[in-house]
Amino acid sequence: MAFSFPDEVLEHVFSFIQSDKDRNAVSMVCKSWYEIERWCRRKVFVGNCYAVSPRMVIRRFPEFRSIELKGKPHFADFNLVPDGWGGYVFPWIEEMAGAYPWLEEIRLKRMVVTDESLELIAKSFKNFKVLVLSSCEGFSTDGLAAIAASCKNLKELDLRDCEVDDLSAHWLSHFPETYTSLVSLNISCLGSDEVSFSALERLVGRCTNLKTLRLNRAVPLDKISNILRHAPQLVEFGTGTYTADVRPDVYSDLAGAFSSCKELKSLSGFWDVVPDYLPAIYPVCSKLTSLNLSYATIQSPDLIKLVSHCPNLQRLLVLDYIEDSGLEVLASSCKDLQELRVFPSDPFGAEPNVSLTEQGLVAVSLGCPKLQSVLYFCRRMSNEALVTIARNRPNFTRFRLCIIEPKTADYLTLEPLDVGFGAIVQYCKDLKRLSLSGLLTDRVFEYIGTYAKKLEMLSVAFAGDSDLGLHHVLSGCESLRKLEIRDCPFGDKALLANAAKLETMRSLWMSSCAVSFAACKLLGQKMPRLNVEVIDERGPPDSRPENCPVDKLYIYRSIAGPRCDMPPFVWTMDEDSGLRL
Amino acid sequence: MELQLGLSLPSTPIFPFKMLDLNSYGYELREGLGPFGINVNNNCDSCSSSCSSSSSGGADDGGGGTKKRRLLDEENRIVPKTLPLLFWTNQRPNDEDEAKDVDDHSSSAIFKNDGEGLVGWPPVKAWRKKVRRRVGNVRAAVENSCGGRASSSTYVKVKMEGNAIARKIDISRHHSFESLTTTLMRMFDISDENGEKSFKLTYLDREGDWLLAEDVPWR
Repeated sequence: MAFSFPDEVLEHVFSFIQSDKDRNAVSMVCKSWYEIERWCRRKVFVGNCYAVSPRMVIRRFPEFRSIELKGKPHFADFNLVPDGWGGYVFPWIEEMAGAYPWLEEIRLKRMVVTDESLELIAKSFKNFKVLVLSSCEGFSTDGLAAIAASCKNLKELDLRDCEVDDLSAHWLSHFPETYTSLVSLNISCLGSDEVSFSALERLVGRCTNLKTLRLNRAVPLDKISNILRHAPQLVEFGTGTYTADVRPDVYSDLAGAFSSCKELKSLSGFWDVVPDYLPAIYPVCSKLTSLNLSYATIQSPDLIKLVSHCPNLQRLLVLDYIEDSGLEVLASSCKDLQELRVFPSDPFGAEPNVSLTEQGLVAVSLGCPKLQSVLYFCRRMSNEALVTIARNRPNFTRFRLCIIEPKTADYLTLEPLDVGFGAIVQYCKDLKRLSLSGLLTDRVFEYIGTYAKKLEMLSVAFAGDSDLGLHHVLSGCESLRKLEIRDCPFGDKALLANAAKLETMRSLWMSSCAVSFAACKLLGQKMPRLNVEVIDERGPPDSRPENCPVDKLYIYRSIAGPRCDMPPFVWTMDEDSGLRL
Repeated sequence: MELQLGLSLPSTPIFPFKMLDLNSYGYELREGLGPFGINVNNNCDSCSSSCSSSSSGGADDGGGGTKKRRLLDEENRIVPKTLPLLFWTNQRPNDEDEAKDVDDHSSSAIFKNDGEGLVGWPPVKAWRKKVRRRVGNVRAAVENSCGGRASSSTYVKVKMEGNAIARKIDISRHHSFESLTTTLMRMFDISDENGEKSFKLTYLDREGDWLLAEDVPWR
């Protein structure tokens, strides 16, 4: 194009474009836009850390300040990915330490982060501001101490759902007395019983910009009042253990402390709740938009009382103790509800321990017009209920249903739940994420392939009859990025017939299915831009007949080629695999 | 009761990418079968013993025979180019076969190995498993902190619910549950009368599961 704006003008325009998808689109318009865009991209998102190498990222984006990386596949959350599979962040930190001394933000999900990595971050990035580690593991409080001691401009330290080796609670004391820039601190995953309360109080006291504070279970209830009084400006707060002997002075202290927090919008924590102390939070309930009670082992009547005080609730996480009756109250009280997650209190029990059924979900779908995102664990479901839910709530974007017993049929008709889920995908045209459960045949996949055109992520377990099911999904779901499957009778044919589709997706996970080693080899051979990883703890796949199914299969697109950090139980099928064997 | 759903199958959709069917690479996994044939498990006779994975029981073999027949029936009538609007009722074709399958599926005990349960099912994250409902009174939780470090140390942290202070106890100095519980009761000042009955000793295993200590032999 001969006529164009000067680079500076384009760069200025691009600075208003923040989303990765838009940035990627911009970079594909023409070569000069590609060049301008890559120099001014400040935030890089890498959805699969093995899809690209650190060096490639650095080469393309010479001036980014913020990086987000994701490592292990989602099913790692449920122990399906063996320890040692991979997802190490150190190589990334190493490369960036050299190239980007001005790096400010690192966000990691499902990665292995060592103390060495944390120490390197602390040492290398002088203006480091944000560290968010989500579902990560491999580090201890020693690494945290290094961050605390060196990162003078740290604003955010968020360790959500991490597994941390608690060596010493005194890491908190490594924040110097002069350090005051903390805005967000989430240590809810820490198990340490010896949290240094005085260090915590002093830290909270001097960081006047603190907006988010999520404590861990070890912080006792009587310490919270003090902490809250030091930080009345808090917007998001997570308690520690919410239990103590019931004493009027402790209660009034607590109620007073909560009342002083006029900005509180989000509450979480609530381990070991003693119901008598719950009313202490009533003063803030009317402003609450987010409430995480998923650790609160309180019964329906207390939950109902609490929820009725929160008319502005947009997000609720709760245990199934809330029961159908509680969800009905929720449906009538919280008209702004957008996201609901109901977790099982007794996931491994054979019999239901609470009266929570499909009725609760039906009630909420009817009463909450803005509800878009649902995660619901229950023990029974019917097609009728699902069709009703779909009709009530066509604006669902995320629908994850887990019927606890695998292959549970419609409890009214004993039929598969194909029609019910079919209704979900037919009516909810903007559905981006779907998790299936219950008794399902190939037909449900036919519906999904036909209707779920915006679906980006699909989770399947114990479903389907044949390769036809998988074929429907791979050939029909145009927007599919992530597909994870376990214990389904899907074999080679659908996979091989849709090989090209796999390059348009981020990743495919299949475990305990029927994909043969031979098919994996073929895929690896013919698709050089896919990494086909066979994960098998039984031993080398070539020690068994070729048509034997592999235990676990993880396929992802990559421009970095096979990785070199695989443990002994992971084999990558590359171009040579056909020749070598 | 009829469930009315208007569903129609589309004509062959247009994909933005080239259709690549690797099945045509002359690689025949099972001779003489059409596309989307039967799953491999049925042919894997020679490796069935070595193939059995330790976690789940794999695909359902119970209804295999029935499913085969139904598949071939479906194959002959699937994927027409266009279809009029279908009204889906509860009445399904091949009703008898369906009923048989449903019966097979409803006995889901096949998936559980020796009562151990499935790996990763239900899909709740590891730390959620640690949310335990208080059973009656208080229980003493024993956390074994070996993790990745060399477990030459036999000290374990013991925490009593309701008491924020944890104590350390040397497991190697005890040789039975009786002596362990006696010592623990002394450490936590639990007197004999209400002690024995209302306290339960649980421990956290490697998978993050809380298990009753008495359920396993002392070793």
